[in-house]
Amino acid sequence: MPQMKRTPQDCPSRLPENTAVKQQQLPACRLQLSATGILSGFFATGVFCLGMGVILILSAKSSMEIEINYTKICASCAKLRENARNFDKECTCSIPFHLTQTMRGNVYMYYKLYGFYQNLHGYLLSRSNSQLLGTDVKDVETCAPFSKSHDGTPIAPCGAIANSLFNDTIILSYKLNSSVHIQVPMLRSGITWWTDKYIKFRNPSSSNLSSAFAGTTKPPSWPKPVYELDENDPGNNGFLNDDFIVWMRTAAFPTFKKLYRRLSRTQHFIEGLPAGNYSFNVSYNFPVTRFQGEKSVVLSTLTWSGGHSLFLGLAYTVTGAMTWLAAFSMMAVHLKLKGKRFSPDDKVKL
Amino acid sequence: MFCSEKKLLEVERKVKANDREYNEKFQYADNRIHTSKYNILTFLPINLFEQFQRVANAYFLFLLILQLIPEISSLTWFTTIVPLVLVITMTAVKDATDDCFRHKSDNQVNNRQSEVLIDGKLQNEKWMNVKVGDIIKLENNQFVAADLLLLSSSEPHGLCYIETAELDGETNLKVRHALAVTSELGADISRLAKFDGPDTKLMQNSGKTKFKRTSIDRLMNTLVLWIFGFLVCLGIILAIGNSIWEKQVGDQFRSFLFWKEGEKNSVFSGFLTFWSYIIILNTVVPISLYVSVEVIRLGHSYFINWDRKMYYSGKATPAEARTTTLNEELGQIEYVFSDKTGTLTQNIMTFKKCSINGRIYGEVQDDLGRKTDITKKKEPVDFSVNSQAERTFQFFDHNLMEAIKLGDPKVHEFLRLLALCHTVMSEENSAGQLIYQVQSPDEGALVTAARNFGFTFKSRTPETITIEELGTLVTYQLLAFLDFNNIRKRMSVIVRNPKGQIKLYSKGADTILFEKLHPSNEDLLTLTSDHLSEFAGEGLRTLAIAYRDLDDKYFKEWHKMLEDANTATDERDERIAGLYEEIERDLMLLGATAVEDKLQEGVIETVTSLSLANIKIWVLTGDKQETAINIGYACNMLTDDMNDVFIIAGNTAAEVREELRKAKENLFGQNRSFSNGHVVFEKKQQLELASVVEETITGDYALVINGHSLAHALESDVKNDLLELACMCKTVVCCRVTPLQKAQVVELVKKYRNAVTLAIGDGANDVSMIKSAHIGVGISGQEGLQAVLASDYSFAQFRYLQRLLLVHGRWSYFRMCKFLCYFFYKNFAFTLVHFWFGFFCGFSAQTVYDQWFITLFNIVYTSLPVLAMGIFDQDVNDQNSMDYPQLYQPGQQNLLFNKRKFLICMAHGIYTSLALFFIPYGAFYNAAGEDGQHLADYQSFAVTMATSLVIVVSVQIALDTSYWTVVNHVFIWGSIATYFSILFTMHSNGIFAIFPNQFPFVGNARHSLTQKCIWLVILLTTVASVMPVVAFRFLKVDLFPTLSDQLRQRQKAQKKARPLHSRRPQTRRSSSRRSGYAFAHQEGYGELITSGKNMRAKNLPPTSGLEKTLYNSTSWIENLCKKTTDTVSSFSQDKTVKL
Repeated sequence: MPQMKRTPQDCPSRLPENTAVKQQQLPACRLQLSATGILSGFFATGVFCLGMGVILILSAKSSMEIEINYTKICASCAKLRENARNFDKECTCSIPFHLTQTMRGNVYMYYKLYGFYQNLHGYLLSRSNSQLLGTDVKDVETCAPFSKSHDGTPIAPCGAIANSLFNDTIILSYKLNSSVHIQVPMLRSGITWWTDKYIKFRNPSSSNLSSAFAGTTKPPSWPKPVYELDENDPGNNGFLNDDFIVWMRTAAFPTFKKLYRRLSRTQHFIEGLPAGNYSFNVSYNFPVTRFQGEKSVVLSTLTWSGGHSLFLGLAYTVTGAMTWLAAFSMMAVHLKLKGKRFSPDDKVKL
Repeated sequence: MFCSEKKLLEVERKVKANDREYNEKFQYADNRIHTSKYNILTFLPINLFEQFQRVANAYFLFLLILQLIPEISSLTWFTTIVPLVLVITMTAVKDATDDCFRHKSDNQVNNRQSEVLIDGKLQNEKWMNVKVGDIIKLENNQFVAADLLLLSSSEPHGLCYIETAELDGETNLKVRHALAVTSELGADISRLAKFDGPDTKLMQNSGKTKFKRTSIDRLMNTLVLWIFGFLVCLGIILAIGNSIWEKQVGDQFRSFLFWKEGEKNSVFSGFLTFWSYIIILNTVVPISLYVSVEVIRLGHSYFINWDRKMYYSGKATPAEARTTTLNEELGQIEYVFSDKTGTLTQNIMTFKKCSINGRIYGEVQDDLGRKTDITKKKEPVDFSVNSQAERTFQFFDHNLMEAIKLGDPKVHEFLRLLALCHTVMSEENSAGQLIYQVQSPDEGALVTAARNFGFTFKSRTPETITIEELGTLVTYQLLAFLDFNNIRKRMSVIVRNPKGQIKLYSKGADTILFEKLHPSNEDLLTLTSDHLSEFAGEGLRTLAIAYRDLDDKYFKEWHKMLEDANTATDERDERIAGLYEEIERDLMLLGATAVEDKLQEGVIETVTSLSLANIKIWVLTGDKQETAINIGYACNMLTDDMNDVFIIAGNTAAEVREELRKAKENLFGQNRSFSNGHVVFEKKQQLELASVVEETITGDYALVINGHSLAHALESDVKNDLLELACMCKTVVCCRVTPLQKAQVVELVKKYRNAVTLAIGDGANDVSMIKSAHIGVGISGQEGLQAVLASDYSFAQFRYLQRLLLVHGRWSYFRMCKFLCYFFYKNFAFTLVHFWFGFFCGFSAQTVYDQWFITLFNIVYTSLPVLAMGIFDQDVNDQNSMDYPQLYQPGQQNLLFNKRKFLICMAHGIYTSLALFFIPYGAFYNAAGEDGQHLADYQSFAVTMATSLVIVVSVQIALDTSYWTVVNHVFIWGSIATYFSILFTMHSNGIFAIFPNQFPFVGNARHSLTQKCIWLVILLTTVASVMPVVAFRFLKVDLFPTLSDQLRQRQKAQKKARPLHSRRPQTRRSSSRRSGYAFAHQEGYGELITSGKNMRAKNLPPTSGLEKTLYNSTSWIENLCKKTTDTVSSFSQDKTVKL
């Protein structure tokens, strides 16, 4: 017989190592929650949710919000804008309203669009971040179908998003008394994210902004080129224009509001917007009726948690209530069964 | 090996020996063994081709191609290609390493040396270069790597002994005989290569290894199909939505945007949208599912390899998971098919007890005189005085030794008989030690026992037997050899001792021998009979021993008649049988022997524990019925508590059918009387009700069926009867079955019971069964490798099966099910938000998340925690798994993951996706940030959703993980940390400056995640998605606790709770079940001995023997050949025969 037998001495290494991992003996805690633990967890969660819900509702109620839909109010302008050929005709419209209560604190002015799909797949893709970064003004590769004009000149800023820029101008004026109307001082700064203004959007570097954009053309729907958006403030011109940046941060849903201006708390408006008569003077350019959209202006104050939205508060309240309900019924079931049980200490594992 | 040419496809093969040129004309295959699949050049194309044949890979390739079409590309290409490349590379590396090992082992076999006659000279040649027709010289103990024809050998009469350990695990030598024509040719052993390489029987029979799949795999495939169906439905809904939206809103909106290129047919747009959504929603079945499943299984396989409790130190053999894809199936086994020899038993026979002249020896008594089992405390009998003693033999009863010393004549006669009446051959090895070549291990045990007690069988010639009786050499003349056969169930020798007395020594089955006794033995007979029952009760194999003094004259007459009969032409066998009957009568009973067919360690416990786990064990063995039943009792599969043991042993189809029917009627009849004695079933009704009754069968039944009957029973019309009956029985023993039948039985159960089967065996004759069962287990550490090579798992001892199934199998199943549940849940939650979002984005196939998030979610953010759970989770520890075999049953019933569970997971996922989408939607609608800035921009929404998702699924996995190891902690917390760090990195200024178009989310994380409002949204989402699950599970555990729930509770309640010991003591069986000559004896050896064929020339008396041999050589060669063919052809795999 050939020596086939393997003796343990020959290959001691075949014995598997005695380590915790290999022997599946890793020290571990078994997640075992007791019934009391789970029930108290449920009650605690319920309390928290209910409390949070109440707080949120109360704080949302404490903030004020006024929304004025001016699609229909400025019907004539809307009519005019329905025909694309009238793009160069000016149309203004004044919307008076009455503020019954002082809006205390910071007041923000938003424009709000209904039925505007900024979240369409094709629309979202139609922009060029590298162009907006100013590194290569002529990089319009990703902007189809608004990458180049008919004669082949690259568009700056290219893409569908930029082309559809919201271009109404809204001015809020306060009727100090029956004859004196003063324009409410508004700030356009601070309406963009810092990263957008200082990282994501840069103008191409050149001594002169218009020369920086040489060799490009304006988007087809724009009345003027990008370097003329705000000729008074170079920090607000070109790609750095705040309204442009805000617009370029596309909304998630077809109904959205975007920050337009914020109240400059000076003179009469140190406390906020006093009660009284106001009017919006809108230079009506944005043709929403063409796609059955609507637009409105919103004035709003804020709370610690943000805007004037009841949803979160209500949702917390409902969740809290449901959790309590569940906790009570679970406790009922558990107590009923407990009597029948053999083991006095019921431990439940999840 | 020689007499079975007709089995081959070629009708005939004419080979000219030692003529390579001539033989080359036929282009026979060469002798190189190829089991490897690739070489360096073919690896890449073949491997890729194979990989893309897998449906999953092909599907992802298809997706990738879809994504490259710009019109419908809703996701960038990298979301699919990154995981796909990862998967393909991993698999390729694994395949390459596997193939490397195959190359290595092929080379090892191919490069073994052989001596081949080339150009008239013996030359060393590698086995792979051996050609058909070559003449090969083999020496003792060489491996054979081809089918050979024995031409001649150095042994007299062209005999050679081969060991077939690599084929069937049996280590005893088998005799092969050269053709009469060639046998006289030469010295040493020369053989002619007959079939080479792939043509050898082994390679021909090994077949392509079937790709085994687990039932979870199959379920998964079904589910994946369901999911695709579901996806298509979603796609269609969204496509229709898109068409409608395009018509009503989209057109106007596009024209407002001056989007001229966008003006398209709404139906066509819907069509494109359909494909776009198919791409987006495909993440429900991400490619990482398949990878993770493989990784988990691999992990479980390593745990099996690493398990010290499955390491057999005796052979230094650890358990090995040879297949890494079947682990969870180990937790679902319903039927175990086990081989006997080498698996349940050690194939070691030990002489345990004997009864001589009405007195039992071998029983160990404690100080109080009570019988006890043999314990270690007891000193074994010291045989050191006897120089011939076999070291390994142990006997614990000193009384026998004393009786020998006192010279008890009966005891002496008993041992003398054992030393004389057998077919053992002796030989001396180089160290001068006496070595016995035994033909059956049982006989070896008896002869060895006699040797140790001082009656040493020394040598034999055809006419004499020399034994050493307590130090003196005595030569007996062998006058006649009355061979064993299956009808006689006994063997006898007639010898003349030096004093001139003629004696007949006989050993055989008690039932037979007791009928032949002299009437004066009556008292002794009853006593011995009791002893035999006692032995049998302990599961020992028994033989009765008797002798007869013969009258010289009487013997001469008889011998003459025998010689006449031998030369007779007609009815020779009958006449000889009659003469044997004639002389074997009026025997004097000496006693009985009890030999233990040693069970492997822990077999009884394992069998008991597995049957508590509701696993049915079938023994399929090539052994005789008696032996098989004996072992059945010995390892507690058959007990006397059983209501009935049905034995099917019919020889014709009709008989078998009748026996089966009867057994069934019997069973139903008894059962009916249990349930409802008044109702009389019509036969037809009975059949219809069979399946119902089956569930309600009370009482234990067992079925024993032999190979002949099985062949008939496997025919189509009886098949169902067999199956029904067999499945109602607790134990099934199939004896005398061929390897093919083993496989057929397994197939039968597999096919008609839909049950998961496991086959365990150690020899090449188990290979077919191992391959056809769902799981094949090979006993390793033996000399034969075939079973192990064909198996999916291998370990050294049968008892490890318990741990493999109850611990590893159970855990694997448990973990895999949990993994799948969670994985499907996770991906439904992840993906379906796109569906909801579709309704708010004009069905434009816009994803909710960032593309990077989609790419990384499954492979980075959430893969590791669920992997850790899939690899490490334990519901109860291994000790409890072993102690409560009932815990195994959920696996068999498929409870932890099935279609229902899947639907629950899916519903859970859908619910979570609803919460995930609509809570942020509601909160963002009309919301503003703390700084007044608008909040509801797409990017912030995407970040909020992604963050909520990661947190929700992490909380969920934390709840699902029941066994929190360090790894789980690291992975769960690590995943969340990784998510945030990657998020902040990708939203950082630096990376945006480098790749502005790839990472447009600059600053987003910073802005969004500093808003209280966003965190409130995330918190609410988490609470809303997790609380219902917790409540649901709490109620489930409270109202319908499973066994493992209860166990965990009890474990917690009484930490030190010792398990109930489920072990039953070995039940002793009462009388009536004695094994009738349950010896692995083969007929024909007697003839070999008396003819002297198997003895070396030097031992032969000068002339007479040879003449005698030549005289009737043909007849017995034919005989032997016939018999060996029966056995050999049953071993379908015959290749590597060791000489």
